[in-house]
Amino acid sequence: ICLSQIPFLKSEFRHCKSLWNRFHNYYAHGTSPSCGQWKEDYYSCREWEKNPCPETKESLQQSERNREAEQRKFTPVWDLRRDPPRDWHMPLHQGKSPDSQS
Amino acid sequence: MDQNKPQEEDYGYNLFPERNSGKFQKGSIAESLFTFNHKCQVMLQFAMETSPYAKLLLGAMKSSGCAVYKDRHFSCEDCDGTVSGGFDATSSQIVLCQNNIHQQSHMNRVVTHELIHAFDHCRAHVDWFNNFKHLACSEIRAANLSGDCSFHNEVSRFNFGLKKHHQECVRGRALRSILAVRKVSREEAEKVVDEVFDTCFNDHAPFGRIPHDKKDANFAYRDFENRDRYYANL
Repeated sequence: ICLSQIPFLKSEFRHCKSLWNRFHNYYAHGTSPSCGQWKEDYYSCREWEKNPCPETKESLQQSERNREAEQRKFTPVWDLRRDPPRDWHMPLHQGKSPDSQS
Repeated sequence: MDQNKPQEEDYGYNLFPERNSGKFQKGSIAESLFTFNHKCQVMLQFAMETSPYAKLLLGAMKSSGCAVYKDRHFSCEDCDGTVSGGFDATSSQIVLCQNNIHQQSHMNRVVTHELIHAFDHCRAHVDWFNNFKHLACSEIRAANLSGDCSFHNEVSRFNFGLKKHHQECVRGRALRSILAVRKVSREEAEKVVDEVFDTCFNDHAPFGRIPHDKKDANFAYRDFENRDRYYANL
């Protein structure tokens, strides 16, 4: 499975290091981007293809866990749904009053 | 007149007078002849098919159980003032202001912005009408992730800034959006935006990153398409 990801990870790393991305990161966050993880994942994936071993797999899994943890650092403002809203696919009613809630 | 009586809240529906009844019957020839409806429909279709921002959001919504159908979930209408669009939670519809959107790039941005609201509505219990924090959070995310605050767009508005200017823009636009649809004071709106800013600015779902331009959005879209296959095998 890593074989298909190697070009993707390589291009992500190169994109991360590009001048344009550095500019955008400064514009958004005031800092340089940190691209080390993409590089590590790219080399881990190459390593996995040559020599699949538990350590390499664990390294890739940990990288993904870290990426997800970054997204969950802050207390969420709202509760996530378990199911989509019931009325999402219901047909529109003509003349429905604007402040009624379903 | 009682000066202390609070103004009745209309939740911004006054900006979208056609939400309950349009001047022309939907789908009529008069609608096509006397409004920008057809142009809006064409630009919308193009945005849904070609914008990587929109395609990613449509895919994410489908995965979340809220498949989006153009005829059901989008409505091109005439709107008041300079507003470009809105998300109507009561009817689960995105409103596009056909009289105020005249360029494809603008349509792409508005569709992305409103789809972010729709995505939030789909994945979370967002109380649009009673919880200002929820409203503020979705507006911060929409301004942050839709390209509203890209360097290029800000420069075209003559807002020049570099270090962390993106964040300033997101704050400002979120504030403007809240003030447009809710009868609250600027101070109150600023306070709410400040309270939720860190959390919501760093919530990049479903993009996984802030897509600063089309190239970023394409990377995010490819990542999204690959995600299930790669990470399931991991």
